[in-house]
Amino acid sequence: MATLEQPKVRRAGRWFDVRHRKIGMWAYALNRITGIGLVVYLYLHLVVLSTLSRGPGSWDAFISLARQPYFLILDVILLAGILIHGLNGIRIALTSFDVGVKRQKALFSGLMLVALVALSAAALKIFGG
Amino acid sequence: MKSLDITLEIFRYKSGEQPHYDTFTVQVDDTAHVIDAIDKVWAEHDHTLMFRRACHHSSCGSCALRINGVEKLPCITRFSDVGDGKIPLRIEPLRNFPIVGDLVVDVSGFFQRMSASDMSITRDAESTLPLSVDDLSTIVQPKVVELPDNLTHFNRFENCIECGICMSACPTMAVDNKFFGPAGLAAIYCALQKTDDPDEKAHLMALANGEQGVWRCHSAFECTEACPQAVDPAGKIMALRRELTANRLKKAGRS
Amino acid sequence: MENRLTNEMMENPFAQEPKASSSWYWQIFTGIALIFLLGLHFIANHFIAQGGIRDYADVVSYLRNPIILVWEVLFLIVVATHAMLGIRAIVMDFGISAQAEKRLSQALTVVGVLTVAYGLWLTWAIIH
Repeated sequence: MATLEQPKVRRAGRWFDVRHRKIGMWAYALNRITGIGLVVYLYLHLVVLSTLSRGPGSWDAFISLARQPYFLILDVILLAGILIHGLNGIRIALTSFDVGVKRQKALFSGLMLVALVALSAAALKIFGG
Repeated sequence: MKSLDITLEIFRYKSGEQPHYDTFTVQVDDTAHVIDAIDKVWAEHDHTLMFRRACHHSSCGSCALRINGVEKLPCITRFSDVGDGKIPLRIEPLRNFPIVGDLVVDVSGFFQRMSASDMSITRDAESTLPLSVDDLSTIVQPKVVELPDNLTHFNRFENCIECGICMSACPTMAVDNKFFGPAGLAAIYCALQKTDDPDEKAHLMALANGEQGVWRCHSAFECTEACPQAVDPAGKIMALRRELTANRLKKAGRS
Repeated sequence: MENRLTNEMMENPFAQEPKASSSWYWQIFTGIALIFLLGLHFIANHFIAQGGIRDYADVVSYLRNPIILVWEVLFLIVVATHAMLGIRAIVMDFGISAQAEKRLSQALTVVGVLTVAYGLWLTWAIIH
C-alpha cells in the first residue's frame, strides 16, 4: 500500500504551521516556542549567575554588560516570552477544567492584550529608567 | 443558473511514484458543489483519479479533504465559498493519515479508535424497531425499547459523521501516531453519557485518562473550529478532563 | 455486551486500558505557583532594586534574608519541575514507546535534580 509519511522529526515542523488555521493554533504554537525559549533561558540564566560565586569583580562586569541597550532589548524579548507563556498558561489551566471553553478565542485575545499592555509598560520602565 | 469554469490542482500520488499536482479545468453549474467538479475530472479527464464520495449531503463523512489548505466536505462546499471560479482550487487529501493514493487516505487506524469508544449502532436494537411505516401494522411487532432514566428520547444519532477532518486539523495528530485523537475522545465522552453501567463507564474513563488520551491535547481547539458538524471535540475533551479530575478527587476523598 | 468489550480489547490497541496520567496536574499546579514565585522574584530583583539590577552586596544581603531564601529555593524547585514537565510533554507528543517514556522520565528527573542541586550550591556559595 502506498504511504507518504515523513519521519516524525520533520512532521514536528507542523506544530508551528499556522497557515489556514485559527487563533487557537497561534496560542498553541506560541506556547510551545516560548516554552522552549524559556527553558534555554533558564539554563543561560543559571550559568550567568555563576559569576556571583566568583566575587563582586566578575558580577560588576556582568552588570555593565546588562546595562547595554542591546541587552535591554533582549530583556524585553524575554519578558514577552514570559508574559505570552504565562498568560496563555492561564487560559490552558482554565479550559483544562472546563472553564471558559466556549469563549477560548476571546480569552486568548484578551490575555494577549494584557500581555501587550504589561510589556509596553515594562519596556517604558526598562528604557526610560 | 450559470456555468462556471473551475480549475483544480489535484494532489496525485501512487505507490512508487513521485507525488505531484495535476491541473484540470471542468465546466460546472454555479449551484453545484466542489465534489461535482472532482467527479467531472474523473469522468471526463482521468479515470485513474482516486477519491471517496458517497452521500453528497454531509452525512457519510467519506469525501473529507482539503481545499486550498482548509479541511472541508466538498459535497457541501459551494464554489461561491471557495473563490467562485476566480481562483484555482488546490485539492489535497486530509493530513495526518497515511495516503493510499491520490485523495484516498487509510482510515483503518481512525476506525480502530472509534470502535474502541464503542460508538457503533447495534443491529440488535434496530431489528426490533419498525423498518418502515408499512411494516408497522403488518410484519414486525415493534418491541418497546426501554430507555434509561436520564434519556428523554432515543439518542441513536450523534453529530459526528466520522469524516476525520478534526484529526487532520489537530497539531498533536500531526506527529503522534498513538494519540487517541479528537474524534475518538469526543466519542468516548458521548458514549459515557449513554451508559449507566459502572464497569463500562470506568473502562471509557480509563481509555481517556492515559498519556495518549485527553492529556496529549494542548488546547489549540482547531478540531472544534474545523468540524463541519458542530461536534465540538475540544469542548468534549475539556469536559472529559473535568470528569476525570472530579473522579480522581472523589477517589482521593474516599481513601 | 461484555463479550464485545473483551474481544475489542484483544484485537484493538486503542481499546487497551492505559495507565492513568498525573503529569498534567503537576504542570498546571507548578504553572500557577510560578505566577506568584516568579512574579515576586522579578519584582524584587528588577523593580525594587535600584537601577533594575542588584550589585554584589545587594544580592548577598537579599539572599541572607531567610524568607527570601525560602522563596527563592521554592522558586528554583518549582521552575525546574515545570521546565522538566514541559520538555517531557513535548517529547511525549512524538508518540514514543512505553520504555522510551520511562527512560525519558528518569533522565529528566536526573537533570531536574542536578539543576536544583547546582542552584542550592550557588546560593550557599553566595551567602557565605
